[in-house]
Amino acid sequence: MDLDFTIVLRYYDALLIGLWTTVQLTMVCIALGCALGFVTALGRTSKNFALRAITGTYVELFRGTPVLIQLFWIFFCLPLILGVELSNFISATIALTLYMGAISSETFRASLKSVGSEQLDACIALGLPRSVQIRNIIMPQAVLRAVPTLLSNCVSLFKESALVSAVGMADLMFVGQNISNNIARPVEVLTVVAIIYFVIAFPITRAVTFVERRMLIRLAI
Amino acid sequence: MNYTFDFSSIAIGPLLDGLFVTIQLTLAANVIGIVAGFVLALLLMSPFAIVRVPFMLFVEFFRCTPAIIQVVWFFYCVPMLLDVFLDPLMMGILALGLNLTAFNAEAYRASIQGVPREQRDAGIALGLNPLQRIRYIILPTAFRESIPVLLTNGIGIFQQSALVAIVAIQDLMYEGKTLATATYRPIETFTVVALIYFAVSFPVSQVVGLIERRRALAAA
Amino acid sequence: MVASSPLVKMQSLHKSYGDGAVQVLKGIDIEMKPGERLVVIGPSGGGKSTLLRVMMGLEQIDSGSITFAGQPYVSSASREKKTLIDTEVRRSIGMVFQHYTLFPHLNILQNLVLAPRKVRNEPKASAEARALSLLERFGLAAKARAYPAQLSGGQKQRVAIARALMLDPKLMLFDEVTSALDPELVSEVEHVIMQLADQDMPMMIVTHDMWFAKNIASRVIFCAGGVVVEDGPPEQVLGSPREERTREFIERVFHIKQ
Ligand SMILES: Nc1ncnc2c1ncn2[C@@H]1O[C@H](COP(=O)(O)OP(=O)(O)O)[C@@H](O)[C@H]1O
Ligand SMILES: [Mg+2]
Repeated sequence: MDLDFTIVLRYYDALLIGLWTTVQLTMVCIALGCALGFVTALGRTSKNFALRAITGTYVELFRGTPVLIQLFWIFFCLPLILGVELSNFISATIALTLYMGAISSETFRASLKSVGSEQLDACIALGLPRSVQIRNIIMPQAVLRAVPTLLSNCVSLFKESALVSAVGMADLMFVGQNISNNIARPVEVLTVVAIIYFVIAFPITRAVTFVERRMLIRLAI
Repeated sequence: MNYTFDFSSIAIGPLLDGLFVTIQLTLAANVIGIVAGFVLALLLMSPFAIVRVPFMLFVEFFRCTPAIIQVVWFFYCVPMLLDVFLDPLMMGILALGLNLTAFNAEAYRASIQGVPREQRDAGIALGLNPLQRIRYIILPTAFRESIPVLLTNGIGIFQQSALVAIVAIQDLMYEGKTLATATYRPIETFTVVALIYFAVSFPVSQVVGLIERRRALAAA
Repeated sequence: MVASSPLVKMQSLHKSYGDGAVQVLKGIDIEMKPGERLVVIGPSGGGKSTLLRVMMGLEQIDSGSITFAGQPYVSSASREKKTLIDTEVRRSIGMVFQHYTLFPHLNILQNLVLAPRKVRNEPKASAEARALSLLERFGLAAKARAYPAQLSGGQKQRVAIARALMLDPKLMLFDEVTSALDPELVSEVEHVIMQLADQDMPMMIVTHDMWFAKNIASRVIFCAGGVVVEDGPPEQVLGSPREERTREFIERVFHIKQ
């Protein structure tokens, strides 16, 4: 069979719109998900039993089930329960933020734990008040240490975001599949779509290695 | 909230049939991933760039694109390009198996390269030849090291397998969707389906956690 | 009368780990006069670090009390009761640890000015000026903007000492500060501590370096099994110990040294 990749060029504007949706969705969910993840990590390490139980259940449920079913649940069940219509973008944002929050809370939990007790000893020996210990010593070190894994989480989220096509949201994957069906050229269109995802995700995975090697070694964190 | 739950119309039979397909998919993909991933890892460490680079590209491509496009691509493009028509379940197994192969290869590679220098030196000091060192020292150590990641990846594929429902393989997710539509009970159905996935994943991730904690203790 | 009143007075300190399972301090009474430099020696596991950590208020105690310049600041009636620690008094004490414990994400200057800025609200300019002059004195002026990971062990330990001095402590605690260092880096750190000794800084030093102990101590305590076994001038404890256990220990350590 003869392949003609130039045919995909004709649909570049539609693909760009799809990509823009994917990027917007991913960015919003990264920002919200990181914040949620940090708060959840604090909850999971708290002394309060109820807080630990709630955050623990949330994290394990979202890590233990397919993202696809999470999306289906939020898209089709949440509106019924709340009794309000939710736009596709809102539903997708809720679902993927909850997913990002769950995986990132594990990242933050590990990085919080990795700040050694001798750092706390040094804080006490210098008479630093508790608020300064948390704000100036523990938080910055935990966040720096979390950066490489958080970047990996961002790549995961970016990839998982393609699942929103399955619930009818017009992201890059959805647009690509539509074009492919309409012009019956799956090889060309789907390959190009895959390459677009790759071109964005791959540099970020390289950045992870770079951050680990350079920044963290320089700071020995 | 004025929704009244009614789980009575959720037929567990089709869901269990679906779960059976999902588990078949998962196990078969894991067999491929564990075996082929290991071979791929060795190829990735080849001293010849001409061998190494194409396989690196293969791995990176699977790691840096959504699994859903890999599955969809497989279903539409492989038959067209190669002119072969496989049973859909077979196609699903192949797509997920290759995906897992790429991730497992990375896990193997990392743990082989993570075998401490002293272990190799000890092998040399004991007079083992290079093949013996690989066979008796490096590979066993590396394989043991990579078990938690292999388990994590394996259970990851169990979860990812839900997306074959999109290409109409009748797995747990697919049966769930069908049932939700047929009964007009999406909340109950999707909740039960989610809980079934959870009931399989959670124990495995707990085992991984246990192994990691024990290793951390042993290392301390 | 005022001149001889103790700077530190520890009274029957008891400390255990793991709900009383491991008794580490079994009744420590030490009085330290102003200007004294106390060197604590003893077998590892004998409770030396624990003693310094209790003085710094880093550990809960089972019972006993410590006063500093007449003010009580660590006290506990029983293991069940939380140890009372007066954080104001504690700020007069500085401590340097075996493993540097610099803050890895802050550069050297930031490591030094953090506490004065946050604890005493000292203006940035004045704190930085003091920090730079301290670094100058310790031969580290060029490293002000470097990060801890870029320094040698000896440099890190001198920074740790400078960081503690930024709060103008009235007593310094050193816990095996040269034990983690390569042999050729030990003397640069000991030299800095000698400088402080020349300025009559009261200090309590845990060390395994007998040469250093001899040179810096005004008094030596041999501590083993959670009690003070021998306490006296360096010539006595290090030269001709009265206690059998002290003599055995000194001989063993000197043999290893030779
Ligand atoms: N955090 C801790 N938990 C339990 N036991 C401890 C702890 N810290 C020290 N110990 C025990 O207390 C004893 C005294 O330790 P330490 O004060 O470090 O002795 P030294 O500094 O003289 O070597 C040792 O037996 C040690 O194992
Ligand atoms: Mg010690």
